Amino acid sequence: MSSSLFWMIIGAALWLLGLHGLLTLRQALRRIIAFNLMGSGVFLVMIALASRSQPSDPLLVALVVTGLVVAVSATALALRLAGVAQGGRKHAHPEEPRQ
Amino acid sequence: MNAALLSLSLPLVAGLLLVLLRPGRSGLWVILMSVTSLIAAAFALQQAMNLGPQLLQIGGWQTPLAIRFQLTPLTALLMVFTAGLHLLVALYAARSPHATGSEDYWPLSCLLHGALVALWLSADLFNLYVTLELLSLCAVALVALAGRKAYRPAFNYLMLSLAGSLAYLFGVALFYGRYGVLDIWVLAEMAEADGTTRLALLLMSVGLMLKAALWPLHLWLPPAHSGAPTAVSALLSALVVKGPIYILWLVWSVIAPPELGRQAGFLFAGAGILALISGGWSALRAPRLKVLVAYSTVAQLGYALLALGLLLHWQEPRMEAALWLFILAHGLAKVSMFLAAGELQRVLGTRRVRALKGASQNMPVAMATFAVAGGSLIGLPPSGGFLAKWLMLQPLFEQPQHWPWAFGVLLGTLMSAAYVFRVVALGFDRARPNPPSIKPDPVAQWLAMLPALLVLSLALISEPLLLWLGGVAR
Repeated sequence: MSSSLFWMIIGAALWLLGLHGLLTLRQALRRIIAFNLMGSGVFLVMIALASRSQPSDPLLVALVVTGLVVAVSATALALRLAGVAQGGRKHAHPEEPRQ
Repeated sequence: MNAALLSLSLPLVAGLLLVLLRPGRSGLWVILMSVTSLIAAAFALQQAMNLGPQLLQIGGWQTPLAIRFQLTPLTALLMVFTAGLHLLVALYAARSPHATGSEDYWPLSCLLHGALVALWLSADLFNLYVTLELLSLCAVALVALAGRKAYRPAFNYLMLSLAGSLAYLFGVALFYGRYGVLDIWVLAEMAEADGTTRLALLLMSVGLMLKAALWPLHLWLPPAHSGAPTAVSALLSALVVKGPIYILWLVWSVIAPPELGRQAGFLFAGAGILALISGGWSALRAPRLKVLVAYSTVAQLGYALLALGLLLHWQEPRMEAALWLFILAHGLAKVSMFLAAGELQRVLGTRRVRALKGASQNMPVAMATFAVAGGSLIGLPPSGGFLAKWLMLQPLFEQPQHWPWAFGVLLGTLMSAAYVFRVVALGFDRARPNPPSIKPDPVAQWLAMLPALLVLSLALISEPLLLWLGGVAR
């Protein structure tokens, strides 16, 4: 088994693990981590694909960098949303205008 | 191409400027921007019709490395559709500030518009992924504008949407690993029906169906769309779910080899029929007005899925025009329906469907809007919905052995008639009308009526419309 195939299988396994977590877990933070795991799985597959050629494929590396930026911004939004959703349940904000 | 790029950059720049400068009357600026963007999109449509499909290599790189934009009559028409609907919703939202949730609505709706136009124009699988993510991040932020009670639906929407994007991205990675290119037109020439291609197509389809809320992956849609502020619900149902459907169509009708399309088309069409029935049933039983309208989106997307499925299954080009007409007609009708529903529930002071009793007494225009938009969803002539259904049924009637599909369409039509009449019958029940809790605003009701009138007259301009759609992609 070549090393790139090995890493691709690891990546696919991470992706599946993340998907399972995202669909079954209930706590917000765990689901955010699960989605990041899915992302890491895909990026690992892409890097493994890039390393098949010598020198490694720059296009795939560029795609992974772009993908990371997207993932980081999505995680930021998810954390903020999860934070306000949690905070709203623990202590209600009476000053917040009601719709 | 320049007009198309102008129509793309206007909303993006306007959105960023609105965030940075925070001008006093954002609504006015957004209306101005969407009118300009609409005119630019119309010019692009004219160009695309005169000169044929055009491709732009961004940055001047050559084909295998280049990220390309494509301008076809279809993409131009979708740009006109996006700018037009954004304008209609902005007109209503500027009149009734309660419909937006907060001032942050304006920059976000501009960014949403920009992301969607970029999506229509992209001809590169990874670029499509980026625009898809932009679109859903804007959409989630817009849902969250409704305040604390919408945070949970917004969070669930974000999580499922991200799962869908990552499934799509996995498919893109597999495509690149197998063929070494991402441009859809280059891929179209290379694609073969082997295991990797099948797996990639499966992952992409599941991801996109999740993002477009196509049956059976639609469960996140009703809470998110009904919990959002009214103007946002209209934008989400009319525009946002159409983005992933466009990519699904692009992937299957351009890239996928026809023999795979034939197999998958059958599944898509079956899922479409089931969406029509189960979405219609849930809409019929929904206790709240906006939930009813949101389930009707699930049902109506079934028509689009059915048209896509039959297009792939039989390689029937007439289905392509039917698919896009469904998308256009549903967008217009759904904007009207959500705006009317928002207006009704605000004035009557309750979200329940039952409270609409006698609403035609106090709010005749809003009730009429609901009925006219519903007429297009059912497919009554001369609405856009009728035209689309006519185009879809024609090939079905030509060959008698296709009767099960025609029967499915009939069932779907009956379901949509049932849930529309459920509301309309209550509204025109004059026995003991529910009194309004605040004074109705006639101007806002007329603004909600505008898209419904447009969709009603869509069949009257069917000739140029079919001409534009006849020049679809290929």
